[in-house]
Amino acid sequence: MVTLIVCFLLELNYEMPRTCSIVCQVEIATLDQREMFCLSEIEHTLRLPPHLLNLPLAEAIKGELEGLFLDKVIAKLGLCISVYDIRSIDGGFIFPGDGASTYTVKFRLLMFRPFLGEVISARLKESSSTGLRLSLGFFDDIYIPRALLPSPSHDEPDPEDKNQVRWIWEFNEQNYPIDGMDEIRFRVHSIQYPSLPLEQDDGSKPFAPMLITGSLDADGLGPIAWWV
Amino acid sequence: MKILQEYAGALTNFEVLDFLRSRGAGKDPTRLIAGIAPSEYKVYDYLEQTAASTQTRDIAIEFVQKCKEYNLAKAEILNILNIRPSCEAALYPIIEDWDIRFSVEEGKEEEELGLLKTICQVLPPPPSVMESGEGIGVEEEDNPDEQQKKAVE
Repeated sequence: MVTLIVCFLLELNYEMPRTCSIVCQVEIATLDQREMFCLSEIEHTLRLPPHLLNLPLAEAIKGELEGLFLDKVIAKLGLCISVYDIRSIDGGFIFPGDGASTYTVKFRLLMFRPFLGEVISARLKESSSTGLRLSLGFFDDIYIPRALLPSPSHDEPDPEDKNQVRWIWEFNEQNYPIDGMDEIRFRVHSIQYPSLPLEQDDGSKPFAPMLITGSLDADGLGPIAWWV
Repeated sequence: MKILQEYAGALTNFEVLDFLRSRGAGKDPTRLIAGIAPSEYKVYDYLEQTAASTQTRDIAIEFVQKCKEYNLAKAEILNILNIRPSCEAALYPIIEDWDIRFSVEEGKEEEELGLLKTICQVLPPPPSVMESGEGIGVEEEDNPDEQQKKAVE
């Protein structure tokens, strides 16, 4: 029995929005119900600085939340893209000795959190002997290690840039290169959230709080030009 | 900070794009006036390049309804909506147990091709394909969808 419920989620208003998402209940419920973008509900106690008192409350709180969470990684939840809506605002107490009021806010954040096995299109950012690095524009820490490239493939020094390496896949006597022109489809292999390092050497890679490891090792993955 | 619900709902690429557009992402050429942060603009730019930028709600509903007969799981339908595979090979990584569900028997093979045809008919192609003028099985039905999209916006 397949039931289809469709509704739509609109606008960022302070009132309870009409909640909607495209949902379909199917009997084959084996796959985990996750998607690239999802919502997470968070409660946070927020101090509203006094210089924001002239703004309407919802706007001021949204601004504060955006400053706190936007473009930051929350462990296990993913990268926060946007404040989706505000569910409730409580409080407004002023603690003694403080000039600002404190609110307890419940809100939903739009998170980027791909699930394992998801297929995503990205662009090539770097190509080195250890593997590839792909970028989505808003998220750059996607690595395809050498072991997860389609086999067999070999690398050769890139004629254009001597620091980079070009990867070539050999299949049926033909050579298919991975160059930076095309969109590359990869499958998410794992996502890690390494903890903050205590010290960092100068000149090492900037710390990445969320690392996606991808694989190109299946039919239909890799540059789109290979399969069209 | 307390996490009340780690997973409160999934959104397809097109719904995220719609959300950003409803806040004014596409309308402001200077990108300063609308209250949208630069990091959100990066997400908007990424989504505009994908197949989601040419979809509308009606197209998505129609596609989900047509997929009922193929017994696909929710995640597969959402993945297809996000990626819009135009050939068989692109469908392989999306659908689990491809061999078992769409094995090469007479009846099943038609099903698999039928699914591909539905995809090409209902979902409009991504922007890069439309610009270069290639039609990968794009039928005339896309035109009323385009007009509908303009009516919605």
